[in-house]
Amino acid sequence: MDAIQLENVTKVYHVGEVETHALNDVSLNIGEGEFTALVGPSGSGKTTLLQLIGCLDKPDKGAVKIKGQDVTRLNANQRADLRRESIGFIFQFFALVPVLTAYENVELPLLLGSVNAKERRERVMELLKAVGLSDRARHRPDQMSGGQQQRVAIARALAPRPLLVLADEPTANLDTDNGKQAMEIMQRLNEKTGTAFVFATHDPRVVAFARRVVKLRDGRIDSNGATG
Amino acid sequence: MSLSKLWMLAYRDLGRNRRRSILTLLSVSFGLALLIWMAGLIAGVLEDSLQNSIVFRTGHLQIRASSFEEDKLSLQSKDLLANTEDLTTRANALNEVKAAAPVLWAGVILDTLNDSASLQLYGIDTASPIYTPIQTSVVAGSFLTADDRDGILIGKLLADSLNIGAGQKVNLAIVNADGQPDEGTFTVRGLFSTGIPSYDQSSVFMPLSKAQAFTGVAGHASAIFILLKDQADTDKVAAALQGPGVSIVTWSSMNSLLINAIQAGMSFYVLLDGIVILIVAVIIANTLLMAVFERIREMGILAALGMKQRQIMQMFLLEAGILGLLGVIIGIVFGLGGVAYLATTGISIGDKMAAVAGNSFALGTTIYARFDTGQFAALSLATLFVILLAALYPARYAAHLEPVDALRS
Repeated sequence: MDAIQLENVTKVYHVGEVETHALNDVSLNIGEGEFTALVGPSGSGKTTLLQLIGCLDKPDKGAVKIKGQDVTRLNANQRADLRRESIGFIFQFFALVPVLTAYENVELPLLLGSVNAKERRERVMELLKAVGLSDRARHRPDQMSGGQQQRVAIARALAPRPLLVLADEPTANLDTDNGKQAMEIMQRLNEKTGTAFVFATHDPRVVAFARRVVKLRDGRIDSNGATG
Repeated sequence: MSLSKLWMLAYRDLGRNRRRSILTLLSVSFGLALLIWMAGLIAGVLEDSLQNSIVFRTGHLQIRASSFEEDKLSLQSKDLLANTEDLTTRANALNEVKAAAPVLWAGVILDTLNDSASLQLYGIDTASPIYTPIQTSVVAGSFLTADDRDGILIGKLLADSLNIGAGQKVNLAIVNADGQPDEGTFTVRGLFSTGIPSYDQSSVFMPLSKAQAFTGVAGHASAIFILLKDQADTDKVAAALQGPGVSIVTWSSMNSLLINAIQAGMSFYVLLDGIVILIVAVIIANTLLMAVFERIREMGILAALGMKQRQIMQMFLLEAGILGLLGVIIGIVFGLGGVAYLATTGISIGDKMAAVAGNSFALGTTIYARFDTGQFAALSLATLFVILLAALYPARYAAHLEPVDALRS
């Protein structure tokens, strides 16, 4: 079953009197457990597509369906609930809450839900172990390297056991080794948890990890294929 | 997300820019402490003025002849009390009465060789405890005795301004009960200093019997001056003393000018309170707005993680709440400390300043603060409430940021 369906989605940004068609009549299905790369040059619409799938924004036309439900009809609170339960985010900037420790950052989405304390503890420790940071649980972001911070962000994205994790240029601020390590962790967790991953990138080394590559150009889907 | 976790997040957020948080905290504390000091001082000044006026000028109650007019200080027998002993005995017999004594007032002019002053003459029962405060404030010479036939008592401030001292002779001129000018030579027996310049500069005391003889109103008095054990019994005692041909005047009507001034002063004071609280509110709103602007992208991240608008708003209101609550607690500590100091040591405002306050405002040369717990609590709660109100705008602003715009910032 498809986790995500985009049907004829159009998104136009207005800056002053200039209209920019970020996405133009895009239709796309993403299945459960996929490991998909969105590729394309800057301005091709990758980030906009991730924001629409992630219920952070609404399209001007078309429908975005998550597990068959049209999310464009939901209000702000309903979309927040949906994001909390079903969608994890990994950003290019590491996007941890600076006043919280690694443990607390991973725990945050669980606190926003109604996961009990025991289960929270188990899940957080399991994920920190999975990203190799059990010994950094009490460290705050400014006490960790960029690679470590991004691994905490990966653990946080997976904490609510979402249907889908969206990653926008997840390795853009990492060196080659750390970028590779982050991708390997995401790949491993995708296989282990069955959570679908969609990541925007224009780094060929990252694309190499994807089982499916969706190419975007000028707000349209150029190719909707799959790699091995 | 439970409130306790939001508290933790809000508390840690305040630690991000510690210097700004501490400065904001101090602004709240200092603002509230200032309000408490002002409230304590004003309560002290007003209460002291009223009590001074009651003790020295009006008493809690006065029995007067029905036709007596205070501003005329009439010496005509129809305006005076004749049966003073009966009335005094009746008043003293009441349990609630601390002391009652007849008093005779008249306008006099005191002449020295080089100078003169227009004064109010008090013919007093020198043995009555009503005049103990005067007796204890004698700073030169001695207090009067009942049989003193030529002794008077004047304020030290007046004596200094007329350049006379205890033991010196002065002339008192009067228009007597028959409307005839009369005068007599008296010896300044003693000088008193009550600490209330307006009183010390305008009063002259002599024994009641001598005053009656001097003014030609033998056996009469202007009023029976009554002090109560408890001010709250005023109406009860007033009702008990009602009788034909007399009027009973209470401290509140005799001090109406002072009480009106108190009320007018209070509205000005409320305005001052409002200004200080407004400044505190602007500081809080500014601090929170800066915190919001610094963390816009973070708001986007929290929204992406599923934090709802209500929770983001709560988080900022909690930040304001923590700042406000801590600020108010510190403000109360500083405020009460300041009031305690001002209540014991006081602030010396000097003779001239106190005298400027005039006759209806019996201000001492040192003003003392007073604890007014209800007022202090009201100010603290008002400050906290206004802080939360001021935090609403920044909190709402943060909560209503579009996640996608916040992430893009």
